[in-house]
Amino acid sequence: MRVVVDEQTCQHHGQCMIECPRVFQLVSPQELRYQADVDEALRDDVEAAADACPTMSITIEG
Amino acid sequence: MTLSIDTADVPSFDISDPFFSASSAAVAAAREQSWWARTNFGLAVLRYDEVSALLKDRRLRQGSFAWPAQNGIERGPLSEWWAEIMLSKEGDDHRRLRKLANPAFSRKLIERMGPEFRALANELVDAYAADGGCEFVSQFAEPYAARVLCKLIGMDEARWHDLSRWSTDLGLSFGVTIREHQGLIEDALQNLYAVSEELIADRRLRPRDDVVSSLVQAHDAEQGSLSDIELLAMVSLIVFGGMDTTKNQLGLAMQLFVEHPDQCALLAERPELAANAVEELIRWNPTVMWATRRTTEDMEFGGLALPEGTTLHLLSYPANTDPLAVGEGGRFDITAERPPHFGFGGGAHHCIGHWLARIDMREALPLIARRMPNPRYTAEPVVRPVSGLTGPVELPIAFDRERAV
Repeated sequence: MRVVVDEQTCQHHGQCMIECPRVFQLVSPQELRYQADVDEALRDDVEAAADACPTMSITIEG
Repeated sequence: MTLSIDTADVPSFDISDPFFSASSAAVAAAREQSWWARTNFGLAVLRYDEVSALLKDRRLRQGSFAWPAQNGIERGPLSEWWAEIMLSKEGDDHRRLRKLANPAFSRKLIERMGPEFRALANELVDAYAADGGCEFVSQFAEPYAARVLCKLIGMDEARWHDLSRWSTDLGLSFGVTIREHQGLIEDALQNLYAVSEELIADRRLRPRDDVVSSLVQAHDAEQGSLSDIELLAMVSLIVFGGMDTTKNQLGLAMQLFVEHPDQCALLAERPELAANAVEELIRWNPTVMWATRRTTEDMEFGGLALPEGTTLHLLSYPANTDPLAVGEGGRFDITAERPPHFGFGGGAHHCIGHWLARIDMREALPLIARRMPNPRYTAEPVVRPVSGLTGPVELPIAFDRERAV
């Protein structure tokens, strides 16, 4: 599956990293790094990250 | 050059002064001069960009974790509760609790309750609509906030007064009078625990599609489940965190409607603006006036040396209304598109119940605007100081006849 983070709305609260640190890493208060292509085995955690994002900036494609 | 917090020439405020107001002209003038000010209890941060960055900076931790101990309360139920709640935890301990609790507050789960919230708001307005007036805090804001929480945790709504009282008493633990009110606070805690224990035991046997069931059933391969004491702390924190905040925020909304009748009328005509109106309300009249953080190491930020253990109050109102965020001469405007406000804090401790607050107010505000048009005060409102958790205590209002739909 493919993960897309809307960089315009992302506020770097880091809730995604609480849910799924394997995919999402807040490296500074201004910078989020994330994997775009994610193994299916992590789907539950990535969906939890999308749900927990206060700004709804994470979408999962596929 | 790196400045020192002790010697830099910046404005200074006494934030324990009951007349200190984070929305005052003095604070706005200080914001123009400097991104931070000195206070009698740490620093105050005043500007949008700095508040935004510091909320998310992991060199800082949530600032109130040691509050009971700082006031000489080092053992007993209050001290134990404080140590257990998610707000006091950091790092892996915090991450574990947050991950287990987050699903209970997902937007999808809360949005399903929208029609129930609307029915509740209508029921409350029905009770006084024919009078053409009400005392808005006791007749709407308080019962609405308390009964929404009863619905959320599945508690008998007839007992909403109890929930409201315990929550308000527990809130005294965040104030400077914590020591003097310790007995009252611990009674409230005991009552909340008793109700929570019943709910938890019931949902273990008969799970429903609700928040307490979600917490009881929460399980993660790495994080395990919530223990009995963690469940009790979580349910009591939910009630406490959702009660006075929502009650105050609704009262603050009514004050904005009285002060901006054009905006109230606009929302009545265009209820689709509700979501934006809620954001704009929290921007201009936030109940949570600051988030507190403490540095966990010697650090430098914004040209300033911050020694380990420095307390920072990140002031929501001055940051939310910084000309950077709202432009010069900005005003309450429910149609405006703005950058996000800090009414729900931010970072790892971002308010877990923000969807509940947003969705219950999205239901309530347009309904109030439509059914209580042109509100005005019939007596002077009774208000709390504009610091900590603020909001009106009494709002006697009159309004025009309801518009036909």
